Amino acid sequence: MSKIASWIAVAGVALHAAAGAQVPVDIVAFDTPNDAGASLTITWPRAETAVVSGYRVYVATAADGPFRLAVESATPGLKSGEPALFGYDDDNKRFHVVHITDYAVGETDEPAPLQDGTLYFVRLGAQTSTGEVLGEVASAVPGGNWFNTAKWNNIVLTIGLSVCILFFISKARRKDLFIRRIAGLEALDEALGRATEMGKSVLFVHGLKGMDQIPTIAAVNILGRVAQRTARFDTDLRVANVDPVVMSVSQEVVKEAYLKEGRPDAYRPDSVFMAATEQFSYAAAVAGMMVRERPAAHVMMGYFYAESLLLAETGSTTGAIQIAGTDAYTQLPFFVTTCDYTLMGEELYAASAYLSKEPKLLGSLKGQDVGKALLIGLLFVGTVVASFGVDFLTHLFAAL
Amino acid sequence: MLFMTRTLPFLFCFAFGMTGFAIYYVPHEWAQSVEREFALWLRLVYAFAYILGLVSLLSLHWSKIRQRQAGWAYSLVVYISFGVMFLFVVYNDGNGPFTSQATTGPYQWMFTSIHVASSATMFSMLAFYISSAAYRTFRARTPEAAILLVSAIIVMLGRVPIGAYISDVIPDTMQWLMSVPNMAAKRGILMGVSLGAIATSLRIIFGIERSYLGGGGD
Amino acid sequence: MDRLINIDRRIIFIFIFLGIAIPLLVDIHLPIKPTPTVRSVYDEIERISVEDADRPVLVSFSYGASTVPEMVPMTRAILRHLFSRGRKVVGICLWPEAVGIAQPIMDELAVEFGMEYGADYAFLGYKPGNQAVVLNLGQSLAGTFPFDAAGTPVGELAVMKGVRNLKDFSFVFDFAAGDSMEFWWIPFGQEKHRFPFAGGCTAVMAPDLYPFLQSKQLVGLLGGLAGAAEYETLIEAPGSATAGMEPQSVSHLIIILFIVLGNGVYFTTRRRGGKA
Repeated sequence: MSKIASWIAVAGVALHAAAGAQVPVDIVAFDTPNDAGASLTITWPRAETAVVSGYRVYVATAADGPFRLAVESATPGLKSGEPALFGYDDDNKRFHVVHITDYAVGETDEPAPLQDGTLYFVRLGAQTSTGEVLGEVASAVPGGNWFNTAKWNNIVLTIGLSVCILFFISKARRKDLFIRRIAGLEALDEALGRATEMGKSVLFVHGLKGMDQIPTIAAVNILGRVAQRTARFDTDLRVANVDPVVMSVSQEVVKEAYLKEGRPDAYRPDSVFMAATEQFSYAAAVAGMMVRERPAAHVMMGYFYAESLLLAETGSTTGAIQIAGTDAYTQLPFFVTTCDYTLMGEELYAASAYLSKEPKLLGSLKGQDVGKALLIGLLFVGTVVASFGVDFLTHLFAAL
Repeated sequence: MLFMTRTLPFLFCFAFGMTGFAIYYVPHEWAQSVEREFALWLRLVYAFAYILGLVSLLSLHWSKIRQRQAGWAYSLVVYISFGVMFLFVVYNDGNGPFTSQATTGPYQWMFTSIHVASSATMFSMLAFYISSAAYRTFRARTPEAAILLVSAIIVMLGRVPIGAYISDVIPDTMQWLMSVPNMAAKRGILMGVSLGAIATSLRIIFGIERSYLGGGGD
Repeated sequence: MDRLINIDRRIIFIFIFLGIAIPLLVDIHLPIKPTPTVRSVYDEIERISVEDADRPVLVSFSYGASTVPEMVPMTRAILRHLFSRGRKVVGICLWPEAVGIAQPIMDELAVEFGMEYGADYAFLGYKPGNQAVVLNLGQSLAGTFPFDAAGTPVGELAVMKGVRNLKDFSFVFDFAAGDSMEFWWIPFGQEKHRFPFAGGCTAVMAPDLYPFLQSKQLVGLLGGLAGAAEYETLIEAPGSATAGMEPQSVSHLIIILFIVLGNGVYFTTRRRGGKA
């Protein structure tokens, strides 16, 4: 009997040892890269056979423990699921990865977060049918990182584009730069001239966004040029606003424009006014103005929402010449169908350069065009190589 | 004075612009805490902008009433409406202004039955306007216009159940139109607009663009 | 012919009015087939209800009074689905008008499904700041919304236990009538923290958001009343969106008929040598 029992015991130990031998539990531990700190990352090879039902990660502040539970998972992630940290190597599918941010201190206490600069000892336990198999202890120190290496492609592109734009801005001061004809802006003089001949006003509408938004800044730039022309032609200008800050800036811009043209007497402060502060109240107010006062020209520049069609359709019934410009993709169809001329997308941003012919604005436009040419080239090359299953360009420009 | 109105804003703009740019690439806790503070300050600015908007609106309408300008009666309506809503907010269905906003009572009724109803009505006008605009402008004058016309019809039918009722091809074609040509166009415009935004932002950060200060050349 | 070319727009308006009013009065039902973008949202909520049932869902309301007819049906449909699966829901508003619209809906549906405030759902109210709010939420929820709409500290709400920031939600859904999805949630939330994110928007905005579907920054999208009707079909709870499909179908048909008429008149006039 005792011989049988001892054989069973030996068999049990051998089985346990055999199970442990199949379960890789030796980990690599390191500070989690590209983070604010207080986090460690551990990786270990995936078990080839289905002997493991789950994993536990233990953390201690001393090499000999006591080790406390930090993470428990039946299906920990793989390195291949985190290309920002590990790239796109095919081998990544063979390794598990877990991030540790805190560990249990007591049964009922809140978990304690990891502290930057403290040395932690980490150990992995694999749950098998025969019990838990513990691996060797590894150690690492968590800390914050000063640069997110996963965004290196982003910073290179940004700096490259920025240098390109600034280069052309400086070059434009020395050399004339060509800008193609933009029909909507060519028609601006025609529209203003028509308003002058008819003795009617020009209505300018900026859209709904605030002064901190790029389309509004572009619209205010255009307003300055329009105001200069209305001052020169002695045409009445009406600027309807929805935002008080935009209204203040517009008042200054129009006043400055009239001063530049030597017509400070012609400037009327109430020509730049608040129509309303709400979207549809604003649309109703401006539409009412269009129908009552019948301006000869409507210039709608900026970012618009649903009120775009209300304004443009009402304007078209009055017979006014309408020039619109917006980068609001969803409103473009409404403007295209109801206005005489429409500036689409970045044509709105180019308008200021176009109207003023200022070297630095033209240079900025040229820089944008070079950037766009580069993007188009990359898109073309990337599409071709990706079609043949070569992913390096796709990975190079992946936003991680 | 020029320092306060021109130079100091440029310095602020440059400092905050470059800091915002750097923070995006720096994951360290110091950078994240700066980002947190900036976001908090931005929220304060937004909150104060509401007060600015209210004061601006009320003073504009007050001057219209005082000077008996054309349409001053509507400005009076603005004041009365504002006053009545404000009173009922303070009343707060009998709970007073220092408790959380009640979800019942006269204010909620006015909000739902007057404000929501009138705003939704204004938005609904778009249905009529788009139909008259579509009749007037969707003419197959050129091959491109004809393609636009056919696409518009397919999308209009595909978005509603009647399209699938007529044929399954219609919603499938609609889905393809939205997912392929529409997305391509949107992406193209998005890339161009984003480049334009980068260029404009650079000009603002480096002080080349000064229109946001009001007046002054570029 | 001239009169047909320059038809008084009021005639078109009358047809549109009748095309919307009559189907509302007549009992017609057209079958509604959910599209893949709507089905993705449904599947995601079903998935997290099984795989990630412990963590709450964040719902953001970013719409106002003017878009109530389009947004409220999808709000009801999504909340109904979440509550029916026993999901804990936390609601916030990024537009001030949304508070008076969304809070009564949440409360009403919570009562219907036997959800208890504080334990199963919470409404944190509105905070100004647009994208700055999303940025702050990514760092600390309690720092951004220290109290709920009733003034209770969020730390005292059981539903907020274990929720430190956006990453601690199993799913985030935004109801957007403006910029909130494209310019606030995706660049300042989803792109930084990579949580499962989906949204519902007005029909006119939906084409704007398709690129984000393909890049998987958006799990799915409900577009306008049609999207809401498709979702009501999926959850088998027809409501006002489903009822609105017949008028919408008829009005689309009327617009198409007018376009065809306009083109017919245009080509006829051109063939006769007149001006179109």
